[in-house]
Amino acid sequence: MPITRRALLTSAIAVALLPARHAFGDTADGKALIAMTWDEVVEQARGGTVNWFMWGGADNINQYVSDHIGGQLKADYGITLNRVGLTDTVEAVNIVLGEKEAGVLDAGTVDMIWINGENFRTMKQAGLAFCGYTHLLPNNTLVNWDSPAIANDFGTPVEGCEVPWSRAQFAFAHDSAKTPAPPRSIADLIDWIKANPGQFTYPAAPDFNGAVFVRHVFYHVAGGHETLLGPFDQAKFDDVAAKTWALLNELEPFLWRQGQTYPTSITQLNELFANGEVALTFDYDASQFGLAVQAGRFPDTTRSYGLTDGTIGNTNYTVIPFNSPNKAAAMVLQNLLLSGEAQFEKARPEIWGAAPAIEISRTSPEIQGQFAAIKVPPQVVSSEELGKVALPELQAGWISAIEQGWIANVAQK
Amino acid sequence: MLQGRPISRAFRALALGLLILWLVLPLIPLAIWSFARGWRFPDILPQDWTLQAWTYALSDTSGVLGSLGLSIGISAGVTLLSVLIGVPAGRALGLYRFRGKGVVALMILAPTIVPGIAVALGIHTVFIGLGLTNSVTGVILVHLVPTLPYMVLVMAGIFANYDPNHEAQARCLGATPLQTFRHVTLPAILPGIIVGAMFAFLVSWSQYILTLLIGGGRVVTLPLILFSFATSGRNDIAGAIAMIYILPGLVILALTARHLTGQNRAITAARP
Amino acid sequence: MSERLRIVLLLGPALLVIGVLFFGGLGVGVLRSLNYMPVIGLTDPNFDAYGALLTSRAFYQSFLLTFHIAFTSTVISAVLAVGAALLLRRSFAGRSVISFLFQLNLTIPHLVGAIGILYLFSQSGSFARLGYAWGLIAKPADFPALVFDPYAIGIILQYVWKEVPFIGLVVLANMQSIGQDHESVARSLGASRWQAFRHVLLPLIFPGLLGASVIVFAFTFGAYEIPLLLGQNHPAALPVLAYRQYTDVDLAARPQAMATAVVIALLSAAMIWLYVRLARHSLWRE
Repeated sequence: MPITRRALLTSAIAVALLPARHAFGDTADGKALIAMTWDEVVEQARGGTVNWFMWGGADNINQYVSDHIGGQLKADYGITLNRVGLTDTVEAVNIVLGEKEAGVLDAGTVDMIWINGENFRTMKQAGLAFCGYTHLLPNNTLVNWDSPAIANDFGTPVEGCEVPWSRAQFAFAHDSAKTPAPPRSIADLIDWIKANPGQFTYPAAPDFNGAVFVRHVFYHVAGGHETLLGPFDQAKFDDVAAKTWALLNELEPFLWRQGQTYPTSITQLNELFANGEVALTFDYDASQFGLAVQAGRFPDTTRSYGLTDGTIGNTNYTVIPFNSPNKAAAMVLQNLLLSGEAQFEKARPEIWGAAPAIEISRTSPEIQGQFAAIKVPPQVVSSEELGKVALPELQAGWISAIEQGWIANVAQK
Repeated sequence: MLQGRPISRAFRALALGLLILWLVLPLIPLAIWSFARGWRFPDILPQDWTLQAWTYALSDTSGVLGSLGLSIGISAGVTLLSVLIGVPAGRALGLYRFRGKGVVALMILAPTIVPGIAVALGIHTVFIGLGLTNSVTGVILVHLVPTLPYMVLVMAGIFANYDPNHEAQARCLGATPLQTFRHVTLPAILPGIIVGAMFAFLVSWSQYILTLLIGGGRVVTLPLILFSFATSGRNDIAGAIAMIYILPGLVILALTARHLTGQNRAITAARP
Repeated sequence: MSERLRIVLLLGPALLVIGVLFFGGLGVGVLRSLNYMPVIGLTDPNFDAYGALLTSRAFYQSFLLTFHIAFTSTVISAVLAVGAALLLRRSFAGRSVISFLFQLNLTIPHLVGAIGILYLFSQSGSFARLGYAWGLIAKPADFPALVFDPYAIGIILQYVWKEVPFIGLVVLANMQSIGQDHESVARSLGASRWQAFRHVLLPLIFPGLLGASVIVFAFTFGAYEIPLLLGQNHPAALPVLAYRQYTDVDLAARPQAMATAVVIALLSAAMIWLYVRLARHSLWRE
């Protein structure tokens, strides 16, 4: 009976091939993963690889990810973490975009991106993100999705397309030995710049930190952020932008190098600050100041502070691209990043000092105790202190308009 | 020729002293930084010394040693391909006259006149479709664009002064083509191959934007990792990596130095 | 085997590689710049990208800056290189050291030199610190701006540092193979040192000098990472501009990036052609 034998042979081959396909760890099929249980997802992920593309400009973060997270991933699940450092997160978005354009739908290079803001909006709008799976992650229960600051990424609703990682809030730093009384509000800063020419500058957009500084000035000119919340409004933007560019251009002659050039990145600004070429620096991540002092890059007398009218804070996330071939491993990684232990480790000042994105009250008592025992070094302003006046980010439409506007009206004069 | 009066001798000595200093000057702060723990204005020398930058650079986490191996592998591969492709092309351009030779020569030398970035954007688009982006193969291929012209240029010069009659004589005396190549041709063109290979290796070794674009940041060669640390404020690690980065070039120089004097026709003949 | 066939086989692989990669890349760049890419559905070629590019002030500022960098670096390097070669062609104490250092310099990648220049010449760099120690300046801002400055001084310094040995070695090799007989004859006929150099030696080494200078000009015009490291944020060098446009999230900037790349190619070729024509003309009109 040849037909039966052929059928038997075919099904035997199919059955033989099945575990072979699984053993290669190709978990590109997102829909299939969403239909599984968490344990099944973990089994799919075991022994696999995950390529995580993230901003690589701070090697304390790189070490935390490669050593601590990568080590745990390997030990607990046998998954190899391949951290890919970027100068700008948009590079990873471009890779996924280019792959979608070229028709690469399930063998993408990127498995996970550390992301937020405009980049996330680009990915969500262009259908580049893997969505609808976050409820599977056991540690997802630690996240307070009711908080609008977490459920919205710069005004774009997350809607299950990304998982939070850390919170950050903008802070300034000064050398208390050289500048004992730094300006503590944007209005004071403007006066201080005019009184101390050549002592201040800020990185050019599209640097992340430079752009958010410009947004602080934008809020100040608008008389507060309240009128700017909500979707992008061209008329309102034009009105506030015109005054903002006028103000920044007016300040130019009093800036470092008379405003003829701006530092390209936050690290260049930090170099200037470290060597005393400028008196102030800032960062979204205040713990960087403590780490710089530890490494000998900044003087011991560095101190950081927030502003009296508040500084902008945000949440940052990790997203899995739609065409990642290692989605299961990426999901396991995201779950690990959300765990109380990982969030605590990252909150330790000597490691990173990053504020957790999970509700500490929802973690175990030991973890809560560990968080409570954290000692913040004197150079770093505590996140509670900053959190007293935390300003929200605007929706992504505003962000890109402000960035483009700055480049066209201030940088290019 | 005159040895020169005392004044001009002193002038020459001063000029030479300054020249020597100038040539090594940029390397000095790099070397110092690699041993410094913070080095801020106005300190002439660091106040705090440490080996931390070196231990980190040589560790597994930093990926520097991996990049070193990868860079050597890529540049060696590019050099080998350049020799295999460039020597025959140099022979054709140096030994033969044919219609369209000028056009062919211009085509092959075009990459020395047109900057890499002008074509790299287009190559990137093509490579995405071919699946060659983010791969070592793609990077090796794209490195061939700037290195091949140098190889052909040097070899064409060598072959222009080469007498093919020696080969004909050897064949007359009964040698096989392979024997002729090994014992007649190769020894004559070897100095040129060495110089050309050295140029090819060095050009590939120092590529940045081509590797960044085609490799997509996934193929991390030493220049990429050096740039990344230099621009993220880690001057100490950048210093250590820079020292590591110049090492293979020094080794190659030591091996090929005697070929770089004026007596080597490869250089004198290397004119477009 | 016929000679024709042999030539084709010898040249084949090289022409294939250059043809596909170089001219293919250039061709695709031209197509993309015209917004013509049927593979992704763009079937309506237009010159919008060029229009936007050629009417943007940023482009002209970048072009002028890049031309200034390339021209100044090449001229200074060529002059110094000839001087260095003249110094080095005779034997003297320390000559082998200099020769070695010249060759050493060839092996050091540009990026390393650029980072070194940054550490030396920034307003808080080694020279500034020496100036402070000697009481010449009181704070970093007093030191002249040599990097991130509008005249690209740091960038030019770096190129001169790297290209003088390169051009120098080429010219030196030429000088050594030419020998000193021609000049001796001229001197014995009553020519001064300068005349012997200007009218006898210079024309002989000129082809090699020109060739090396052309390569240097093309390189300095199209380099990306050195202006990125040492240059001002705006205006940026043309290659930096092209890369920024290419990696813009706004895909509409892609054709403009390609257009910038094509313009860079055309400009380099044109300027070098002009340079060669002018140089050959001026020298042979003796």
